Amino acid sequence: MPASSLNSEASRSKKTRSFRFSPSLSGYLFITPALMILGVFLGLPILYAIFLSFHKVEILGEMSYRFVHLRNFTRLVDDGRVWIALKNTAEYVAIVVPIQTFIALMLALVLNAQIRGKNLFRVVFFLPTITSSAVLTLIFMWIYNADGLLNHFLEGFGLPTYNWLGDPNIALKSIMIMNIWASAPFFMVIYLAALQDIPESLYEAAKIDGANGCDRFVNITLPLLKPVTFFIIVMGIIGTFQLFDQSYIFSGGSGGPNNSTLTVVLLIYQYAFKSLEMGYAAALALLLATAIVLATLVQRYLFKEDMPQ
Amino acid sequence: MSKLYRLLCQWAIVLLLVLSLTACGSSLEEDVTTLTLSGWQSSPVEKQLLEQLLRDFEATHPHIKVRYEVITDQYSDVIKTRLIGDAAPDIFYLDTLEAPLLMHRGVLEPLDRYITPEFDLKDFQPAMLNAFKYKGKIYGLPKDFSTLALYYNTEFFQEAGLSEPPKTWGQLQEYSEALTRRRNRDRRIQRYGYGMVPELTRQAFMIRAFGGQFVDRKGFAAFAQPKALKGLAPVIEQYQQARTAGIPSDTGASNVSEMFGQGKAAMVLDGNWAIPYLQETFPRISFAIAPVPTINGKKGTMAFTVAYVMNKQSTHKEEAWELISYLTGKEGMKAWASGGLILPTRKSVLAELGYPNNPLYAPFVAGADYATLWQAGENLSLVTQNFNNQFLSALLGEQSLSEAMKKAQGTANQEIKASLY
Repeated sequence: MPASSLNSEASRSKKTRSFRFSPSLSGYLFITPALMILGVFLGLPILYAIFLSFHKVEILGEMSYRFVHLRNFTRLVDDGRVWIALKNTAEYVAIVVPIQTFIALMLALVLNAQIRGKNLFRVVFFLPTITSSAVLTLIFMWIYNADGLLNHFLEGFGLPTYNWLGDPNIALKSIMIMNIWASAPFFMVIYLAALQDIPESLYEAAKIDGANGCDRFVNITLPLLKPVTFFIIVMGIIGTFQLFDQSYIFSGGSGGPNNSTLTVVLLIYQYAFKSLEMGYAAALALLLATAIVLATLVQRYLFKEDMPQ
Repeated sequence: MSKLYRLLCQWAIVLLLVLSLTACGSSLEEDVTTLTLSGWQSSPVEKQLLEQLLRDFEATHPHIKVRYEVITDQYSDVIKTRLIGDAAPDIFYLDTLEAPLLMHRGVLEPLDRYITPEFDLKDFQPAMLNAFKYKGKIYGLPKDFSTLALYYNTEFFQEAGLSEPPKTWGQLQEYSEALTRRRNRDRRIQRYGYGMVPELTRQAFMIRAFGGQFVDRKGFAAFAQPKALKGLAPVIEQYQQARTAGIPSDTGASNVSEMFGQGKAAMVLDGNWAIPYLQETFPRISFAIAPVPTINGKKGTMAFTVAYVMNKQSTHKEEAWELISYLTGKEGMKAWASGGLILPTRKSVLAELGYPNNPLYAPFVAGADYATLWQAGENLSLVTQNFNNQFLSALLGEQSLSEAMKKAQGTANQEIKASLY
């Protein structure tokens, strides 16, 4: 960003356009293929989705579009299931993102310490991330089964057992636990890379000044990790807002029991492919996109002071 | 440079080889039409049976080849999406539930002009055939049907001193009490007297027992009327107060057949598709089958049927009809039904194979006369979705039945109305 703006200012001030323009032209030429691909596969679908959201679309049989002004959007407001989905998703984001970020940091700190068998632990911790989420969900469904591993385990310790899949009050939490377990290690790797970037000399200097481990962590590690934490929280929020496959497999596509695992993306899927209401589904998708953009902007604002300019 | 040249030469040779091979492949099948057929499979045995049938068809119709594809999950969504993308198979299974939508949208080929007098359309059970009629045209031929009947575990019955299956719903509740077994330690129930599915698909006939309806004439949900609630109340009561009924997820099973097979329910209502499943997967259990107990003195059960339909976009309609008429004709259906998996929709085949006299299948056949067919306009899947959602919450005791049903009906109807613009 800064480099290119400097360049263009320079070219304007010198007024020798033909000479200054050619390097930037070749630059544009180089990015044209990428721009075209992005345009076709990213830009056009977005424009088409916006177009769809203002239309009532008949898609099966005779294809037809009818302009309906803001009907799709006013319908969103009255649709009770949209609010349930938003509430579930918000709850999910609010619980999963902090916990998974915290666990990722803790795991990274453990692995960054000089402990024996570090490589083995790295592999073990990273395993959940490289497992396909569909397979993971199926395995967890066995574990969560009323007669499954988890309940037997809890029973063995005399703890209360739950109907992890069938009870509406528990079902979403079951998915949360599973997802935290699966995605924390991914962010752990990113933290690990950032931790190893922190120069040892800073710690040594702090040690000489008499800072204990806790001080060093709060005053050196955490501030230096801030940009990475921003990245991890933003990616976490985007990922959790888009929760689909786990709740889809858990509830067999219904979002049940009693709408407790209904998420916004699952609702979009239901309207688009079960009810074939493409226009309304597109409006919902725009709503989700707006929510994610807003959440990211809030993040940016909160982390602003420490962002590298 | 010479290295690069050699590399290019090698690639050119490989390319030529591939091209010549594929050319060979296509020249072999010049006048053979390939039909595509999609369906789901309820058991591996069923797939083998259908594949055998298709091989027989290919042998007698050498100019046609059939590519059979099983869609295992979310069948109707996949088919609808493929229909939209002009990538649907020539022939596919269609469930009664989805039939109104597809017939209405005009994506199916009407079959009337292909049907000859020799095909003997009158032989089909009229109720099953009517499910695939729209504006006087026939869009599908039902390949088989199923009704619900009462499966009961004879061993558990003996243990409890019961000799006969329950005849009325009141008896079923009494029997459930005797058959339920509770673990002493933590009061968790080890075996339920009655295992049930808390879904409209399985409960719709209960609604009908007191003169209620689940969907009204205009296609709106109507299951919160007092008459409908009367039919549903005993189910909730038995689950909550008596605690002698369970749902599959209570026991960690994924459906009632599994629950029954594992001995965690002594009685369940299930379709005839469960017979081969139980016999193969749980060979040690001994069970018998009886008609669904009467409710309010009336007989009732559910009927499900699936048809073969032809895609309007198909480019091989004549050949597609040859396959449909083979599969649903007297010979084909007899071969299809003699595997013992399914009940044929042709009355002559049903009688010929002796199903009405077979103790295992007789209750299912008898049920066809008074069953509630699982079909009610285009909105049924939406209505069902809302019903299932709230019925489960009423079952779990989060709200009263009438409250839950009013909410479900309200939401369903609001959604139907909201989609009309």
